Amino acid sequence: MSGTPEASPGEPRLRRVPPAEVEAARMEAVRRYDILDTPPDGAFDRVAAMAARLFDVPVASVTIVDADRIWFKAVHGLEGVAQIGRDPGLCGSAILRDDALVIPDTLSDPTARTNPLVTGPLGVRFYAAAPIITADGHRLGTVNILDTTPRLITEADTETLADLAAVVLDAMELRLSGLRLLREEQERRKAEEAARTRAERDTEAITAFATTLQRTLLPPALPTVPGLELACHYQTDSPRDVGGDFYDVFSLGGQRWAFFLGDVCGKGAEAAAVTSLTRYTLRAAAQHHDDPTEVLNALNSALLLDPSMGSRYCTCVFGTLQPAPGGGFTVTVAMGGHPPAFHLQHGDDGAMAVNGIRPSGGMLVGALEGARFASHTFHLAPGHGLLLYTDGLTEARLPDGTMLGEEGVAAFLTTRTTPDAGRLIEDTIALIMDLPTGTGDDVALLALSVPLAPATDQTAAASTARTLATPGAGAARADQER
Amino acid sequence: MTDDLTLTTTHTDGHLAALHVRGEIDIHTAPALRTGALDVIARGHPHLILDLTGVTFCDSSGFNALIGVMRCTMAANGSLTLAAVPDRLSRMLDLTGLSTVMPSYPSTEAAMNARPTATPEPA
Repeated sequence: MSGTPEASPGEPRLRRVPPAEVEAARMEAVRRYDILDTPPDGAFDRVAAMAARLFDVPVASVTIVDADRIWFKAVHGLEGVAQIGRDPGLCGSAILRDDALVIPDTLSDPTARTNPLVTGPLGVRFYAAAPIITADGHRLGTVNILDTTPRLITEADTETLADLAAVVLDAMELRLSGLRLLREEQERRKAEEAARTRAERDTEAITAFATTLQRTLLPPALPTVPGLELACHYQTDSPRDVGGDFYDVFSLGGQRWAFFLGDVCGKGAEAAAVTSLTRYTLRAAAQHHDDPTEVLNALNSALLLDPSMGSRYCTCVFGTLQPAPGGGFTVTVAMGGHPPAFHLQHGDDGAMAVNGIRPSGGMLVGALEGARFASHTFHLAPGHGLLLYTDGLTEARLPDGTMLGEEGVAAFLTTRTTPDAGRLIEDTIALIMDLPTGTGDDVALLALSVPLAPATDQTAAASTARTLATPGAGAARADQER
Repeated sequence: MTDDLTLTTTHTDGHLAALHVRGEIDIHTAPALRTGALDVIARGHPHLILDLTGVTFCDSSGFNALIGVMRCTMAANGSLTLAAVPDRLSRMLDLTGLSTVMPSYPSTEAAMNARPTATPEPA
């Protein structure tokens, strides 16, 4: 470096203390760049090395001036120095200026000569620094060159030093925008994570709500009916939704019992409201009407009367049970637009004889004024079984994509070895589970069977009420045996 | 999801109107079927024949829409007759007993020929 030596500056070129408000704004800018105490970084190291080489000095550094110290972001030729005090004279003074500070001989400068870098073991005799100035005018630190012998530098050299300081600012800006992107990315991830957590919590709440609501729409447990084995299964298509399928078995007093199973059009809260109305209407009507078709008439009227029900209606099978002389039960079922119930008994050929109970003309319940319902009475003898189901079973898809259908259910029942209610339900669940796509809909199953009871003690006849699955999970199981 | 449902009035004769339904009747298109049919009833044709020849799919929403339309025809002292009912819908009508109040025929012509017997008594 050669050229015209820079004129030795006159006083007061070194101010000892910056105005407080300027310093406060400066520190805010320093913090904005978030660079203090960060690890060494290639770009800054290269600037320091380049400065040392360009000016042929033993020591060059890039420093950031903190509130109470001068921190070295990069240093060349000076091992093990990370920071020094903000003593006036060199860097601490350089940031007070808009232009470069050049001290050709520190010993002849009244402020610089007391600086520890000058008086200490390093013995700095030459010092020049260009301030790192942000676009909005804050001086963050300096790019410094130091030598142990006095020297002069040209104006062009000073400009080069200022250029290096500008390069440092560019690197800091680049680093800051990288940091901002990173922070935005992290915040975005955090927001996504929070949204996901919230969604999971909502899903859990909805599931819990649906499960609880569903429980109110089904009997908590099937009753124990002497001389009858009962079993049921209920599954909703989604644990987050309330199904429209329903069933119940209850006493009519004396030795009479009633049962029903059906499917309300639709799903969700509205369907649940219809299901609730349907269940209680059927239970109440059953106490007032002996004829099951009358019970369905009452339900039809109730569903049509309730203005909140809109076009809600259901399919339903409602039946009564009365002990038959000589064993078993006299069963009367009324159908309201529901798929046939299947009556099973051992056939002569060893296969199960399956008879679809399909009283003709039974119409959808709640869709039309004056809908007609049909009933059928038969003997559920010892050794007989009866299976009721909703269309989630018949509309389940086989591996070839076709629906199981009533014929498929009947064919399946024909191959059973026993009409026992518990086994019928277990086998039917296994049938559904084996289907490749599941059922895709809610399924309610109710089976009734009369065990081949020992005639010796009528009261000791086996009776089982069994709930094979509760809504949703399908895992809970309650057995009651007597 | 599909919006592919068209409703074309192919014939009107006094209180009678025959409509050709084309496309899929599902939860998205069922309201269009319903409002389209109700509009025809409101224009003085309470006896409706819905020709379903062009119906490629009909789920329970479509089934519900048909019930809604039938109730409206009845409220207007009219009737709903179906023509060319797809198999699955036909089974649903049988199962739910609605085939007794919503008669169906192989074609619009057959439905119109059978009209004297299908027309309910005036209220």
